[in-house]
Amino acid sequence: MVIGMRLGQSTYPAGDFYDELIASDGSPRPHAAKLADYFSNMQPDELIARQRAVDKTIVDMGISFTIYSEGDNIDRAWPLDIIPRAMPGDEWNRIEAGLVQRVRALNLFIDDLYNDRRILDDKVVPAEIIDSSRNYLQPCRGFSPRHGVWANICGSDLVRGGDGTVYVLEDNLRVPSGVSYMLENRNVIKRVFPSLFQDHRVRPVSEYPTSLSAMLQSIAPPASADRPEIVVLTPGVYNSAYFEHSYLARTMGVELVEGGDLLVGDDDCAYLRSIDGLTRVDTIYRRIDDVFLDPEVFRPDSMLGVPGLMRAWRAGNVSLANAPGSGVADDKVVYSYVPDIIRYYLQEDAIIPNVPTWRCSDPKHLDHVLAKLPELVVKPANESGGYGMLVGPHATRKEHEQFRALLKEDPRNYIAQPTLDLSTAPTLCNGALEPRHVDLRPFILQGENVAVTAGGLTRVALRKGSLVVNSSQGGGSKDTWIVEADR
Amino acid sequence: MLSRAAERIYWTGRYLERAENTARIVQQYSQLLLDLPEEVGVGWSELVRIVGATDAFIASGKPDTETGILEFLLADQDSYTSLAYSVLMARNNIRNTRDLLPHEAWENINELYQETRRSLGPAAGGEDRFEVLADCIGECQKLSGILNGTLSHHGPYHFLSLGQSIERADMTSRIIDVAAAYIQHNERLVRRYGSSLWTNVLKSVSGFQMYRQYCQPQVEGVRVMGFLLCDEAFPRSIRYCADSARSSCTKLPRAQATRAALESVKALLRPIPADRVSAAEVTALMDTVQKRLGDAHQAVATTWFLHEDGS
Repeated sequence: MVIGMRLGQSTYPAGDFYDELIASDGSPRPHAAKLADYFSNMQPDELIARQRAVDKTIVDMGISFTIYSEGDNIDRAWPLDIIPRAMPGDEWNRIEAGLVQRVRALNLFIDDLYNDRRILDDKVVPAEIIDSSRNYLQPCRGFSPRHGVWANICGSDLVRGGDGTVYVLEDNLRVPSGVSYMLENRNVIKRVFPSLFQDHRVRPVSEYPTSLSAMLQSIAPPASADRPEIVVLTPGVYNSAYFEHSYLARTMGVELVEGGDLLVGDDDCAYLRSIDGLTRVDTIYRRIDDVFLDPEVFRPDSMLGVPGLMRAWRAGNVSLANAPGSGVADDKVVYSYVPDIIRYYLQEDAIIPNVPTWRCSDPKHLDHVLAKLPELVVKPANESGGYGMLVGPHATRKEHEQFRALLKEDPRNYIAQPTLDLSTAPTLCNGALEPRHVDLRPFILQGENVAVTAGGLTRVALRKGSLVVNSSQGGGSKDTWIVEADR
Repeated sequence: MLSRAAERIYWTGRYLERAENTARIVQQYSQLLLDLPEEVGVGWSELVRIVGATDAFIASGKPDTETGILEFLLADQDSYTSLAYSVLMARNNIRNTRDLLPHEAWENINELYQETRRSLGPAAGGEDRFEVLADCIGECQKLSGILNGTLSHHGPYHFLSLGQSIERADMTSRIIDVAAAYIQHNERLVRRYGSSLWTNVLKSVSGFQMYRQYCQPQVEGVRVMGFLLCDEAFPRSIRYCADSARSSCTKLPRAQATRAALESVKALLRPIPADRVSAAEVTALMDTVQKRLGDAHQAVATTWFLHEDGS
């Protein structure tokens, strides 16, 4: 049964790109056969009615996000497409192993950078790349957090190219967001399509808050009590990810705090201001950026942070997740070295490949990039959320010229990659199922142990032909299924 | 419970109650001026003194006229004593504590906020003033009803109640102060219009029926003031509010200082002697009540809000 066959006159136009559910001959991939069957038996008006039910459930459950440019409007309903994106369990097992490998290597790398700098002395990664990175924080030198792990929560973006190969597109090691939407997407789809789950063996995702809580406990200072006091530190209600901060605090059963709720005493310990007085805090899951963490050390004008927090952290009296300075390894120039980093620390080849990357800091690479600009994607080394990048084939000649100037002026700050033929997945658009480009952000936790979400957050570019999946720029999302094969 | 959350919810209670009572006082005073002949010489500026905003009013540069004063007390969002400001602050505090409060509270305060932004300016100019103020009182009561009816009786509830009780006691003392203006300005007049004026005072706190049923059928000035000061069962009397604040405290940790401050408020509450009471004495007593309520607030802030500077 071909998905979409019964939707009016149109057939699902698979084949232009690698589609996650439908093979190029129009037949469903084996792991998606029952899913395709289910949806192709639905009339367009039923599909639309289900989408409305999903939208209404999202509003009722208060699942929202914020776009900064919208001023006082701090809530927007989260966009979720009704058709799940499915991946086979055995494929996922390999990806999971690749993600574990990657995060282990990245944490060994960060710990090395702030201590012995062996990898720089051995010239596997050029020292000037690190020393010129604004995410390499001097106040973190000579310190090692518990278990030697810096990036405790990592969100790595995966994409699939035209030949079906899955690549890591980037690693997010600072304050990656989106996991609450992964959890809520599953809750909503379960509510609206309960019968779907009876026919499939889909790996659950709901244990994430428990794993997160266990990880945060495992990194608490050794001296803390049996039940360490954990808090989530948010910049406040106006932050774009506030929904998630509040969601994670609630589901872990811990306090959601702002900078003003905490203080560091003369004893270099962190305390919470509560109606019971000042109480000790052991682990802070901080969702504010490094530079705002501690006005004594970083930006003195920060109203979001806690004066003295770095002191308390370095004294080993409070743990911070992620540790400050972790961002040095999600610089997009450093990204291009990750396969070498994995080989250096683990003596293994990377299980999941990188997207081929040209470093503009290298004059030969820069020449190539300038010549081929209209075919390439250019990204600044340190931005996230899809800001400040150029998608060559979709850009105007004027934009090409602007980027040529930017690249010549500040080559260290840019990398370029081929424009990938991102895979697509069937998505409900104006009552019909159409292919739309997707990516995938799994979340990896590392404390004493490593845990990976089963799947992650699938983001979808809702505009036809668009490759931009960020929710701040018109992206949507899908429930992501890791499907076990039938026995 | 976080100190910050406690503080915001406490202020939600205060601002909500202040908004309702500001509407009540303005309504009552408008009524009073309609009842009094012009030659008595009671003016609108007395109202600014009663809410304790004389200096702020002068600084605002608004004209000393009915419209100027009512704009200041109702519509001016920059004035800390205005109804509009109270609603704005209640909204800000609810927005920042949404995780702890029933969802309907946020929807409701938004409606009230939008409504007051539209209607308070024209109401200051006289347009539909009574209806607008009555609606405001009703909306505030609806919001209090939502919070009191759906919030579990844990920390947030106790801080909300504490804020409401302290603010309500303070505002009742100001309403008694308005009443004192009756005595001050004309004893002959009071003898002539007496009971209808005092009825007006009672009605401003929705207390007319309760007074008649449980206090006495005749409406007499000193008895009305006594009722508002120290009736044990009327929910807007200062005595009742102080008791209610005290009982909120018993559910909270480390409440000794606040309890003591509330006791010293209660120590002031005695019936007013029927003979020879002067307006100046009533005003002085209300000033003392307000000062001790201020001490109780200070105790709350010091104990539970834990500011950097200890305030």
